[in-house]
Amino acid sequence: MSPHSPLILLEQVTKDYRMGSEIVHALRGVDLSIEPNEYVAIMGPSGSGKSTLMNILGCLDWPTSGRYILDGTDVSSLDDAALARIRNQKIGFVFQTFNLLPRATALKNVELPLIYAGISADERRRRAQAALESVGLGDRLRHKPPELSGGQRQRVAIARALVTNPSIILADEPTGNLDSKTGAEIMALFERIWREGNTVILVTHEDDIARYARRIIRIRDGRIESDAPNSPETVEALTMQQ
Amino acid sequence: MIRRLAEYADVFISALESLRANPLRSLLTALGVTIGVAFVSLMGWALGSLDAAWESTLSTLGQDMLYVDKWNWAGGGNWRSVMNRKNITIDQAEEIARRVRAASMVYISADAWGKTVVRADKKASGLVIEGTMARFGLLPSTTLAEGRFFSEMEEQHAAAVAVIGDGVRSALFGNRSPLGETIRIEGRPFVVVGVMNKRGTLFTDFLDRTVYIPLPAFFGLYGRYSRSVTVAVKARSPEELGELRDDLRGIVRSVRMLSPDAPDDFAINEAQVFRDQVANIRMVIGMVGIGLTALSFLVGVIGITNVMFVAVVERTKEIGIRRAVGARRSSILAQFLAEAAMLCVAGALVGIALAGGLIAVAALLLRTQMEFLLPFVPLNVVALAVGSSICVGVIAGFVPALRAARLDPVEALRYEA
Ligand SMILES: Nc1ncnc2c1ncn2[C@@H]1O[C@H](COP(=O)(O)OP(=O)(O)OP(=O)(O)O)[C@@H](O)[C@H]1O
Ligand SMILES: [Mg+2]
Repeated sequence: MSPHSPLILLEQVTKDYRMGSEIVHALRGVDLSIEPNEYVAIMGPSGSGKSTLMNILGCLDWPTSGRYILDGTDVSSLDDAALARIRNQKIGFVFQTFNLLPRATALKNVELPLIYAGISADERRRRAQAALESVGLGDRLRHKPPELSGGQRQRVAIARALVTNPSIILADEPTGNLDSKTGAEIMALFERIWREGNTVILVTHEDDIARYARRIIRIRDGRIESDAPNSPETVEALTMQQ
Repeated sequence: MIRRLAEYADVFISALESLRANPLRSLLTALGVTIGVAFVSLMGWALGSLDAAWESTLSTLGQDMLYVDKWNWAGGGNWRSVMNRKNITIDQAEEIARRVRAASMVYISADAWGKTVVRADKKASGLVIEGTMARFGLLPSTTLAEGRFFSEMEEQHAAAVAVIGDGVRSALFGNRSPLGETIRIEGRPFVVVGVMNKRGTLFTDFLDRTVYIPLPAFFGLYGRYSRSVTVAVKARSPEELGELRDDLRGIVRSVRMLSPDAPDDFAINEAQVFRDQVANIRMVIGMVGIGLTALSFLVGVIGITNVMFVAVVERTKEIGIRRAVGARRSSILAQFLAEAAMLCVAGALVGIALAGGLIAVAALLLRTQMEFLLPFVPLNVVALAVGSSICVGVIAGFVPALRAARLDPVEALRYEA
């Protein structure tokens, strides 16, 4: 790996979906490079390809063409097991709809990635508990998702994303299902995660949310429309508010 | 491998949990397996019982014993020519006994079938009266529950003493001890000196309905030449049985004065003649059992495959979540296979319990008529049943599990029930 290689490098990535006889071009040639410990917001109108891009970044989906180099490795050359390992070790996902197992306790939900990491039961419990405590849910370990508020569920999901110590946190509209106050609390968590040295990439519709990021990428019709650093003043102002 | 251990443990636990989440549906789904396993268990039990009966037949009749008879025990041969055979007379029998060299023991016996024995106001009919020698009492397979066998002296003096079979005792004496009591055979009094242990089997159930009296006393009752007698010959070892049979055949032919080209007009019987019978029964039980089992398993496979397809759809989102946090396709495959297998094992356990209950009841109810029936499911059958049900589960779960493993993670995550 060359010392200058970015954490994430996309070269002319396209993604087509076949809908019957029609082909939907969700991504039409995206070039993107993200360095370690960036804090990026991806914005754009509905259907512009944000989620598609996130799924590719998270190795949940594959580009139709183009290259994706993650941490110096060309992802398209990897098999299912290797991709699963990357999702497990390097990436933490946070979804708009939380995506927790409804019948499992918060603790069990957070332990899930550790099961696939081959961690022993005791160690899993310990680390899951620590992760839940770090998002302020130390007193909700045995609650199941239906017994938690939306904000609390999203905290469980964030704990699950953090528990394997991945370097990249991908969040697709993490505040989309939350009221603005709860959303702000969740954003404070991401801010902290970023300050701890992680790379945070989040998708959002809302300018208020995007302002937390240090770099804003706008996409439209499957192409990057603009890519600019976020103005430091707004960030400063927001951080003061906390 | 060690890394995967956590995952396999989780596969096991989550399979158990999803069973517990839907216990009724699980049991209904696995009904085919339950019934199939019940059939396997019943078949194994029947075969086990048969084998036990066979073993005890071998040991009561003696694996080292040959019996020279007019009839072949197993039947066969031309019926008319067999019917026309001349009796083996006591004189011929004594001549044969004198000439046999390579044997460790020879005794002569004679039987009268369908007889009635009376004690006081009680009667037992359908009995066998066997005149035999005191030596018969010395065979290791002749064991007594009570009293003693009659002695050489009693035999020679045609003493009016009798040793009765277990069934005769219970018919005439109930739970009382018959020792010293008098029974009447053909109106003549005999004193009971001993009771045999229960020794009848599926093939030789008449043994418990037999009354043993000294051979001369038998002749006193029925006459010396009225019946064909049996010469029983014990080999010095089971290995010498073949050689002994050849010798014996030559001796009997010469005593019966058969010309060299005449066929044998007698049979040399041994416990092994029941083997064909055993093999036939085994085959029938086996075919019926395997047929019914296969049918039930087929029904089980169809049911489980269906319910697993439903489970995969119901849990599409869960599959997506697991994939997103690091599950490989093979992890998902293993999870659903384990679930199907667990379903089958649960069904199998119910089936074993069911069969076990039936068997316990059957053995209890039929204890007197068919005491060769085992009162339990043989353990190897339990292992077989559980093993085969796991296979059924894996077969039934394979296609649904494969579908689960092949789900696109993004699609799966997007799925809303
Ligand atoms: N599985 C699919 N099959 C067909 N078309 C798809 C599929 N997934 C996405 N698309 C299409 O690709 C385009 C981009 O979708 P994507 O979900 O990435 O949009 P988005 O920017 O995340 O939108 P939103 O803000 O509404 O979440 C859309 O036109 C969508 O209809
Ligand atoms: Mg989206």
